[in-house]
This record gives sequence, structure tokens and C-alpha cells, in this order.
Amino acid sequence: MSPIALITGTRRGIGHALAKHLLNKGWRVAGCSRGKTNIQSKNYRHFSLDVTDEDAVLVMVRTIKRELGSIDALINNAGIAAMNHFLLTPTETCRSVFETNLTGSFICMRECAKQMSRKKRGRIINLTSVATPLNLEGEAIYAASKAALESLTRTAAKELGSMGITVNAIGPTPIDTDLTRTVPPEKIEALIQKQAIKRIGTTQDVLHCVDFFLDEKSAFITGQTLYLGGIA
Amino acid sequence: MPLDRKQIADLVINSIHELGEDLEKPDLIAGDESTRLFGARSSLDSMGLVNLIADIEERLSEAFKIDITLANQSAMSRTHSPFRRAASCIDYIMELLAEIDKK
Repeated sequence: MSPIALITGTRRGIGHALAKHLLNKGWRVAGCSRGKTNIQSKNYRHFSLDVTDEDAVLVMVRTIKRELGSIDALINNAGIAAMNHFLLTPTETCRSVFETNLTGSFICMRECAKQMSRKKRGRIINLTSVATPLNLEGEAIYAASKAALESLTRTAAKELGSMGITVNAIGPTPIDTDLTRTVPPEKIEALIQKQAIKRIGTTQDVLHCVDFFLDEKSAFITGQTLYLGGIA
Repeated sequence: MPLDRKQIADLVINSIHELGEDLEKPDLIAGDESTRLFGARSSLDSMGLVNLIADIEERLSEAFKIDITLANQSAMSRTHSPFRRAASCIDYIMELLAEIDKK
């Protein structure tokens, strides 16, 4: 039987590309987003929900188990960004960014890990950002939420290691997606100049990292955050 | 139709029996409602209890399509853990189901 992945945030961008990539590789994919998706495949099942809605996530994860089988891999891609000067950031923005980027990821991790622990194997990959190690101005809350996610990645890796579950994170550089198209080009260029390899990232760069962490031979790699572009 | 206590008790006790077989713990294999799940006199360690709770949640989902989290805020904030014995765990699940019915 082909393996099953749950990918959050599959409506567009990296999540959309990831879903299609894994489908092409023979995976069965369940995806979710707040809206609908245009992914058409008999091996794809979409759930319209908000990852911060705990009850909805519970129903999704257990429906996947009942109807498709036990989840082999979770890719926490759903996230929201907030670009604002620190002094002008509303408290509600802080709450909602943490709610989606941290709490939503946590709920999905916890529920999927319960299934994975029964099989004594599983892969969890969290999408973070170079905004964290770069301490990017204007992205204080976003960077902080991803820092929290990286910390969660490391601790969960320790707690879930004995269950055969690896937990890792990928921190992409700016990639040409809907999210970055709203950022002024000079800001993107300034960011690229901070990288060891000075070019904009591609979806393919991220897919390659995902393949690496999903690979059976990566069973001894956990608790790591892999930044692209030479950011450390 | 609302589930009765016996259906939930059977599900929980079966889960304890199966875990007992996996862990080769005779007291769990022969477990009943008085079986201790938590504390110094339980033969389950903390990871064993985690696995048991996850298994019960999964069984509730598969058998009755009930999707709940047992380790929720209500369970964690109680003076006496609902997971101390099989019977208290069964009673606690019945409470959660009654809350769902009220909604």
C-alpha cells in the first residue's frame, strides 16, 4: 500500500506543490486549507478547515485513519505571516500568528503522532523560515512564532524518538509564492544578500529537503532545522 | 443512540488487555475496572499510559466515530486524575460523551 501524508495548507504555494509532488511519487495525500483546492486526484482527499480548530483537526486526522489508513508523514506547512513594525503590531496579530503557526502545528503533530506511535514509525516535518535565524526586522511576531515551532520540533523529536517518529523542520529562504509577492522587491533582494548563495529559492529546493527527511534512510535524523541558501 | 457504560467499559478493558499482552504484564492482561493505570502501584509507566490513552481515543473513533481528546484541560486540572483506575477512566469518558450530547 502506498504511504499516506497529511499536508496542511495545500490550497496554494509550497503546500500545493508538495501535495502534487508526493502524489506524483505515488503517495496518497490528505490536505487541508481554509478554502477549497484545485488538486484533482483520486489519491487526494481535501479537508476545508482551520488548523487552529482542534475539533476539526481531530475529525480530519481520525477520518483519514478510518478511510485511508494510518498517517505515515505529516507536513505542517500552513502558516500566516505578519509584516509590521514592532511598535505598530496589534496584539491580535500576535495571537493569531501564534495560534496558526504554533498551536495549529502542535495540534496536528500531537494527533498524527498518536497514530504514528502505534506503528512505531512516522515522519513529521514543520515548515519554518529563515526569518528566525536572521531576526528579520518587520517580522518580529512571525519570526518568534517560527522560533517557537523550531523549539517544539526539537523537544518533540526527543519525546517521540523512542516511538520511531522523526521530527524535523525546513527553513526556506524567500520563494516566489503568493506570500512573498506582497513583499517589496528591494526587501527580498536585501534578504537574498544575507544568504551564502544569493538567489531566490525555488519550490524545488524545498521539495528536495522534504524528500530527504521522508527518506527511509533518514530514520536517524531528527530534531534538526535545515535552512536553505546557506543561512545559519 | 447514546452509548451505555458497558460499551465504553468493554472498549477500555479490551484496550488494557491488549496493551498488557504487548507489554507482557499479567495484571493488565487480567485487568478489570479496578486496574490501576497511574501512580506508583500501576504497572504502566508514563509512556504506557500515553499509549493506552491514544489507543482508547483511536478505538472510540473507529468503533463509534467519536473523535475526542481524553487528555484535555478538564482532565489535567482535576485534583484526582481520571486516569488513576480503569473505572475512573470509563466514568470520565461517559462524562465527556454526556457533554457532547448536551451540545
